[in-house]
Amino acid sequence: MSKKTPKESFLTISVYLTGYSQVDLLGTGMLDTYYNTFVENLEIENVTTYFKEVDQILDNSGNSEEKINEGITKVLFGSALVSLTTNLITMWYTGNWGQDVISPESYTQGLIWNAAQAHPPGAKQPGYGSWADEPIEIPTI
Amino acid sequence: MNDHEYDVVIVGSGIAGSVLTKTLTQAGKKVLLLEAGLQAGIAFDAEKNFQNYQYYLNTFYKAGAKVPNSPYPNIEDAQSINVLDIEKITPENKPTTNGYLVQEGPLPFASDCLRGPGGTTLHWLGSTPRMLPNDFRMKTEYGVGVDWPITYDELKPYYEMAENEIGISGDVEDQKVPEKVVGDKTIYYNVDRTYGKDYVFPMKKIPQSYLDKVCMNRSKGLKVELNKVVYDIVYSSTPQGRNSIPDPRYKLTGITWDQRAKKLVLHRKDDYEYQPVGSNWDPYTGQRCEGNASCVPICPVQAKYNALKTLRKSDPEYLAIITQAVASRIFYDKGSNDITGIEYKKYKYADSTVFETKVAKGKIYVLAASAIENAKILLASGIANSSDQVGRNLMDHFVMLTWGLLPEKGFPYRGPGSTTNISTFRDGTFRKEHSAWISPIDNWGWAWPTFAPGTDLSNALSEGMFGKKLRAHLNDVITRQLLLHFECEQIPDPNNRVTIDPKYKDQLGNYRPVIQYQSTEYMNKAMEAAKKVSDQIFKAYGVEDFTDYTMKNADAVKYNGKVYNFWGAGHIVGTHRMGSSKEHSVVNPDQRTWDHDNLYLVGCGNMPTIGTSNPTLTMTALSFKAAESILKQLEKNEDHGSTFSKKQFETT
Ligand SMILES: Cc1cc2nc3c(=O)[nH]c(=O)nc-3n(C[C@H](O)[C@H](O)[C@H](O)COP(=O)(O)OP(=O)(O)OC[C@H]3O[C@@H](n4cnc5c(N)ncnc54)[C@H](O)[C@@H]3O)c2cc1C
Ligand code: SF4
Repeated sequence: MSKKTPKESFLTISVYLTGYSQVDLLGTGMLDTYYNTFVENLEIENVTTYFKEVDQILDNSGNSEEKINEGITKVLFGSALVSLTTNLITMWYTGNWGQDVISPESYTQGLIWNAAQAHPPGAKQPGYGSWADEPIEIPTI
Repeated sequence: MNDHEYDVVIVGSGIAGSVLTKTLTQAGKKVLLLEAGLQAGIAFDAEKNFQNYQYYLNTFYKAGAKVPNSPYPNIEDAQSINVLDIEKITPENKPTTNGYLVQEGPLPFASDCLRGPGGTTLHWLGSTPRMLPNDFRMKTEYGVGVDWPITYDELKPYYEMAENEIGISGDVEDQKVPEKVVGDKTIYYNVDRTYGKDYVFPMKKIPQSYLDKVCMNRSKGLKVELNKVVYDIVYSSTPQGRNSIPDPRYKLTGITWDQRAKKLVLHRKDDYEYQPVGSNWDPYTGQRCEGNASCVPICPVQAKYNALKTLRKSDPEYLAIITQAVASRIFYDKGSNDITGIEYKKYKYADSTVFETKVAKGKIYVLAASAIENAKILLASGIANSSDQVGRNLMDHFVMLTWGLLPEKGFPYRGPGSTTNISTFRDGTFRKEHSAWISPIDNWGWAWPTFAPGTDLSNALSEGMFGKKLRAHLNDVITRQLLLHFECEQIPDPNNRVTIDPKYKDQLGNYRPVIQYQSTEYMNKAMEAAKKVSDQIFKAYGVEDFTDYTMKNADAVKYNGKVYNFWGAGHIVGTHRMGSSKEHSVVNPDQRTWDHDNLYLVGCGNMPTIGTSNPTLTMTALSFKAAESILKQLEKNEDHGSTFSKKQFETT
């Protein structure tokens, strides 16, 4: 039995869904906003179902990444839940819920820019002349 | 207010209007500036200015579609042309009436501009190459279009003023672009001649991007063939209006009116050091381009030039500004043809239907409301049109885009929008057959044509990718994206035009511009040629081509069995052209209308042809020329006992 709160489950599964570590995700400062957005945009039954499935995947995997990924592909990318799952990933990557940008902060915290070794246009500017060289890698845990 | 008489009434606070306002007030002339946009946008007070700009920035962050106008208010009383309003025009869907423009087609005009304080330079990119000497004599050299009534050499001193005013970063040596190919030899323009020996820009060139270097390294010595002629692929760093490191050799201090010599003078001082102009709220912000990579639509630190920087240099003693004032009509005296006033509608607040109609009066009047709006106001007033050229010859660059994946990482989405261009096809005898083009390397990946990188994410998700695999995939794909522009010059065509129709008015009862726009053989041939060149360049780079043209796109043409798409460049040119005769043009080389002695037009509408340069630098040079002519005219009238009343200036 899982003793995790739904928000903890949200964070844990987000790590597997996004490919970013918990530290990276927490570092965006967006966890609360994204969790709230996710929950607010769903019918309450769907929230319950989603987290039930998530907890099952996490609890039954014995911490094997491979097993968790299998569960994600089978269940979270299954026809019933796929749109919620892709919305969730998109939220972390772009700060959008569907077509809407959740907030100015969410846009600037989009992980897609990090994946691209760039930065969100209009924010986190890397400084004069930085574009003339390869991007500098700042190692994360 | 209606009783005041100013020396000059100017409509529009974009770069054209701001250059005039600054130059004329600094010369002690009383100026009234009418601006359609909201009061908040003009704030001279640092704190208010900052607050307003932060509001723009947050609006941009929050915008779903980050198009050029996305940060700025689009008000019903003075709508902006918006690229989001563009639709495909079909026999069933014609005209399209979304937004401000009414588009009759057959193709939609695809560029926008911004109605608000500071105008379109708030969201311009800031590329500022000069036009080439041959661009001024297209008819003589190539038998197409028209010649300008002035030569490159005549415009040269004004180019220097424009480069001083905007604050250009660039390397003059790199502007040695090909003029033509003779046999197997490329003849280049000599920069000692075009720019003058020892001429430098105010600031050193903006560093060229890592991506530029990848492209240049992969194509050393590359030659391409087009219609049996072999061309060298030549790269030029792009001069641009954004701050970099001052060039210590630059000694030009600023522009003033020399009353005795009756001309504008760009002063030189040997111990001068150029100071980059920072943001409008704090001179120490924006001293250098910081690599925000969002120049279009908004530079967060204002390292990029915008017209409000010029407007702020105006002498406040001589300036009155009325915002939320939309010019609608111009009145003239039927006997003398002199302009007697500009009617404007002052709305109460954004989107309000409550407005007051007033008339602004001056000795001289200047329209600086941008090419389409200027033409529309003239047509609505039934003036300046004895040549029947008002509204005609609407031009833009057809931007044909090609995109693909590099075999190595070029790391786009960093730095200013473009730092290097391929200048090979900016000039040449091929212009007898099809347009010339400039090819900027785009530093922002596939964002423009495919809405990347958002679409890269959605595509990957639809393939079921997630987690580390997704992250690695995005890293692999986004970092290798390459986008080239082929910005093809459009030739003046009288049928590409702005008209008005009483059926289409906005909420203040002002006319909305009605546009007719088409492509010609000359353009289509250029796109065909450009695609052939792109294919050869992509091959040399080792790029996998993902370019995808479809008839579904709003601007699509079929030529020799192939489909081409083009996009708008934002370069709205030609609607009230300058010429050497009253019969064929709207303004004379002084930028004054042939028909009305006290009416001047400024902006890209005056340009007879577009060449391959982004037009604003050239237009700014012409605006200085206009300022000079106006000062001459005002002082001539003063010398000879003006026929105009000489009321004392009262502040409003
Ligand atoms: C996305 C984009 C990128 C661009 N990049 C470049 C570039 O890299 N290089 C380049 O050279 N050019 C570029 N341009 C073009 C450049 O922005 C314009 O040529 C230039 O800003 C035009 O200046 P203007 O002063 O003539 O007109 P605008 O800047 O359009 O100003 C017109 C002014 O008039 C006001 N106005 C309009 N109608 C009325 C009315 N009825 N009554 C009162 N006021 C009115 C407006 O509010 C505005 O203040 C770009 C354009 C776009 C759209
Ligand atoms: S790259 Fe960034 S800092 Fe530089 S001009 Fe563009 S938006 Fe401004």
